[in-house]
Amino acid sequence: MNNIIIGQYVPGTSFLYKMDPRSKLIALFVFMISVFIIKNLLHITILLFAVILILRIGGIQIGRIFKGLKPILFLLSFTFIFQLLFVKGDVEDILVDANVVITSINIFIFIGFFILWRLLRKVVKFRFLLFITFLVGSIIMFINLTPGSPLFNNPYNLVIYKQGLEGAVFIMTRLIVIVTMSTILTLTTKPTDLNLGLEKVLKPLKIVGVSTEIMAMIIAIALRYIPTLLDEANKIMLAQASRGVDFSEGKFKDKIMQIISLLVPMFIISFKRSDELADAMEARNFVPGKRRTRIHLLKWTSVDTILITVSLLTLSGVIVTRILGW
Amino acid sequence: MNIIEIKDLSFSYRKNTPVLKNINLNIKKGEWVSILGHNGSGKSTLSKLIMGLLKANEGEIIVDGIPLTEETLYEVRSKIGIVFQNPDNQFVGVTVEDDIAFGMENLEIDREEMVRRIDLYSKKVSMNEYLKKPPHQLSGGQKQRVAIAGILAMDTDIIIFDEATSMLDPKGRDSIMEQIRELKEDGATIISITHDMKEAVYSDTIVVLKEGEILASGDAMDILNNKEVLNASNLELLLPLKLLHKLDEANINNEEMRDILWQLSLNK
Repeated sequence: MNNIIIGQYVPGTSFLYKMDPRSKLIALFVFMISVFIIKNLLHITILLFAVILILRIGGIQIGRIFKGLKPILFLLSFTFIFQLLFVKGDVEDILVDANVVITSINIFIFIGFFILWRLLRKVVKFRFLLFITFLVGSIIMFINLTPGSPLFNNPYNLVIYKQGLEGAVFIMTRLIVIVTMSTILTLTTKPTDLNLGLEKVLKPLKIVGVSTEIMAMIIAIALRYIPTLLDEANKIMLAQASRGVDFSEGKFKDKIMQIISLLVPMFIISFKRSDELADAMEARNFVPGKRRTRIHLLKWTSVDTILITVSLLTLSGVIVTRILGW
Repeated sequence: MNIIEIKDLSFSYRKNTPVLKNINLNIKKGEWVSILGHNGSGKSTLSKLIMGLLKANEGEIIVDGIPLTEETLYEVRSKIGIVFQNPDNQFVGVTVEDDIAFGMENLEIDREEMVRRIDLYSKKVSMNEYLKKPPHQLSGGQKQRVAIAGILAMDTDIIIFDEATSMLDPKGRDSIMEQIRELKEDGATIISITHDMKEAVYSDTIVVLKEGEILASGDAMDILNNKEVLNASNLELLLPLKLLHKLDEANINNEEMRDILWQLSLNK
């Protein structure tokens, strides 16, 4: 339950934790723009190493970053394979040109590979690397090993161009850099600080009529009420269970009914709560949009200035190289 | 000097079903007033009207010389603090510290002063060790103490306790009652809305509400002893008083009672 409130935040003491959320947000934004401007594989690799260096100095475990990458693993593999297969280049840049023939023998070998992967996956630490190894192994096997009679008449002609491989690696690195940077932010900043930082950074939006103070207040209250409402949901589930609702089993239709039996009281309770909370806030002189003093101070230190400078230098460097066409 | 004057106050949520009818009430500065009544007697509505959270249909409320209107709403609110029934639904901040600060932030108090007052009032309600804790790690009584600290920090003259102890266990309730007594000694005006007779004992004055009307008001001990009034408003006599009345009914005088009590305790 605690996990939801603190989000991904992991307590620590390195310089990343002592920084102002405002500078982190601005730097993240500037770095992201840089990442999107970069078109060169070498440059993005340099940036990736810079990010890894920050991780090392900041004392963040690489494993935590992997956890952040996990949700986009499918997207990563999909774009990689898509780029690899469908980006065409010049004839002299062909890296692989092979016919994929599916025969009964390599189907058996593939199943063997698959079982081996399933077995090893439980013991080996780097599961993703293992998966890639077996995937590449299977592909090579399909290309080179073609004894026996083919199962299909027309073999698939697999052509991989240098451009395709480069593009695939480039896009994957770009995605990894972006996700890693934003993961660093959420790992080292408390949601409440992040909220406060966002409020201050987005303040210029006032010109277009968006009040960031009110938005920040809404987010802060949502953060504060998540555990309370989770508690409530638990209570309702127990109450429903004692009346014979089984939340763990049933067909799809039953599941929907179970969710409804949870959602309806949750809605009613939330409305009632928000009503009382609004009274309590008003009684304590809260007027939406009125100026308020703040108990939380954001401290801008030299580290923040350095970070912003570095991010701006990176951006200008990237722009210059783009213009010069390096 | 009357700090709150209520004149001919009437209120209804729906037409023809009045919640409060012609309420006239004066509350003196530094007084502890208990407003007693069973569920639906309109006692919580009265507190919301004083706070300006609801708008009266008729009548006038004057707080510290200022009549409550839409223009003076915020000025009047800054003079009154209110502690509600449900400790969870009035905890605005993400941590104890944030919650105590919330009211002060709204009043635009300087940060240094806020820090000073948070320290002072969190110690006063003995919550100074929990300043960084989120609300779901606190007990109901602790949350209610934080709410009190938040109100105290706003430095209001009047504090309303709207059934502030009804959701707490006996221990939590005792500690809140202790806080209220200290506040009273410090000179605050206290309005305590309750249906618990044990709480009303400590107050100076009691106002009994029944179906939106004042059934009786006066000195606390007089009201607590008035069996007719209490019966009419579905409230129960306190146990010692009830015992006294029963003994009276049975025509047992004080000396006889003492003998009987001695015998009972020796037999044991």
